[in-house]
Amino acid sequence: MVASPQHEFETQDLLINVGPQHPSTHGVFRMVLTIDGEVVKDVVPYIGYLHRGAEKLCETMDFRQGIGFMDRTEYLAAHNAELSYVMAVEALAGLEVPDRAQWIRTILCELNRLSSHFMFLGAFGIDVGVFGTPFIYAWREREAIIDLFEEISGDRMMYAYFRPGGLAWDVPLNFKERVREVLKSTRQGIKDFDELLTQNEIFRARTEGIGYISAEDAIDWGMSGPSIRASGVALDVRRDEPYLKYADLDFDVITGENGDVFDRYYCRLMEMHESVKIIEQCLARLEPGLIVPDKMPRMLRAAPGEVYIRTEAPRGEYGIYMVSKGGNRPYRLKVRSACLSNLQALKQMSVDQYVADAIIVLGSIDIVLSEVDR
Amino acid sequence: MTTQDLTGTIWAEVDRALAGVTVRAERGVMDVIVYIPRDEIIRGLRALKRDAGVSFDYLRSLTAVDNEAEGMDVVYHLYSTTRKHNLTVKTTLPNDDLTLDTATSVWRGANWLERETAEMFGIRFRGHPDPRTLLMPEDMDDTFPLRKSHPLAEIEVLQGEGMGYTEEDR
Repeated sequence: MVASPQHEFETQDLLINVGPQHPSTHGVFRMVLTIDGEVVKDVVPYIGYLHRGAEKLCETMDFRQGIGFMDRTEYLAAHNAELSYVMAVEALAGLEVPDRAQWIRTILCELNRLSSHFMFLGAFGIDVGVFGTPFIYAWREREAIIDLFEEISGDRMMYAYFRPGGLAWDVPLNFKERVREVLKSTRQGIKDFDELLTQNEIFRARTEGIGYISAEDAIDWGMSGPSIRASGVALDVRRDEPYLKYADLDFDVITGENGDVFDRYYCRLMEMHESVKIIEQCLARLEPGLIVPDKMPRMLRAAPGEVYIRTEAPRGEYGIYMVSKGGNRPYRLKVRSACLSNLQALKQMSVDQYVADAIIVLGSIDIVLSEVDR
Repeated sequence: MTTQDLTGTIWAEVDRALAGVTVRAERGVMDVIVYIPRDEIIRGLRALKRDAGVSFDYLRSLTAVDNEAEGMDVVYHLYSTTRKHNLTVKTTLPNDDLTLDTATSVWRGANWLERETAEMFGIRFRGHPDPRTLLMPEDMDDTFPLRKSHPLAEIEVLQGEGMGYTEEDR
């Protein structure tokens, strides 16, 4: 029997499970979508698949051993993750970091921001549907930076190069030339992406006006990093509460206007120009000197107390809350994950969007699941 | 009721915003730490958020610290996006009654942070809109990994027994 046009069809919401092993979920993230036709009506995220209890483990390790765990919580920007941890130890142990070590730390953190954002650009391209070219381009640029990290620290991803008080060892003699060489290709790489994606009409049609979040909501959810700056909130720890050498450096905080997926992408891209600018200023001011304090204690002991250190990692605020009751290990260590707070707003951003756009919204937050789950 | 010299910090403004709330403060390594009794915590946090003079509109982090015999501290790290200042708020829970009112009515971002704190420390947040586990399996609601009493080395011990080692070998 053919239904007459007047006939009311009954519709039913459909549950779709995405992940945890799904290429678009950037690791092991699972979300259950309730969809009505093509439109998302509800999102229930599930996390914890990568929980390794890094906080608990750090309570049993002395301060130097803990650095390795921090690398593994944020494997795409391990320098930035180590930084918060060693700064917390330095604050509690009362260590002064020499100038040279601080300049090198600033350079490496910004280089890590570049490599992490390249990773985002490549992966985000795949989410949007431009498989191939951007991903390979991003990989090529990231590779150059990773190679440099390998020359410095001996490792490509888990550096353990920052130590309480300074650095593990000094950088190679040709450090400045190598960084300048890498920056040259990086600058070209950013320009390539601007042409490949920003000026691509299909890309813009896919991303503009999708996954909106207002400035008030973003603050309420505790979002940070480029994800909140895209909504027009100029929140950047580097400028608001300068650490390392950021107070002496000239750079802009990039903000968006629309708070949509395109702005979150574009903020990251523009931020990369700022990182290049910062590194160039650092290179001009990097001078020979000590890389650890003169009187470095053989046994590192922290005074009783507590500190909450926040730094601006590529994905937002990476915080370390460290409680010490004396001795050579933290009594309690808490990692404040930027992605965890950003991910909370996923539901609000995805509801009433198409299913295909929900994937892009997730990609635009640039999650690293090992940082979310710790 | 200041215990230390807090001149030059935001304490004066915080004290004014927290009028009517029992409060004690001390100077931390970076930020001022404020202690609020647990019955008044939500009233205090809401005042800190709404007061135009301090306007702590951003919850950086929420967690707990197990101080064993002295109970558990729940710790809030607050920030103001307009005034750019920080504050640490702490409240102590006795070990025999680990319940606290939820802060999700003040900042929505407290939601997952409280879920994590609840499953890791066994603290119950009264009025939480979504009291499921976050990182742990759904049925793991009777053991709390971040408590100091929770053993870390259990797996090693099991492996040791399985491999035929005795206590003297180790």
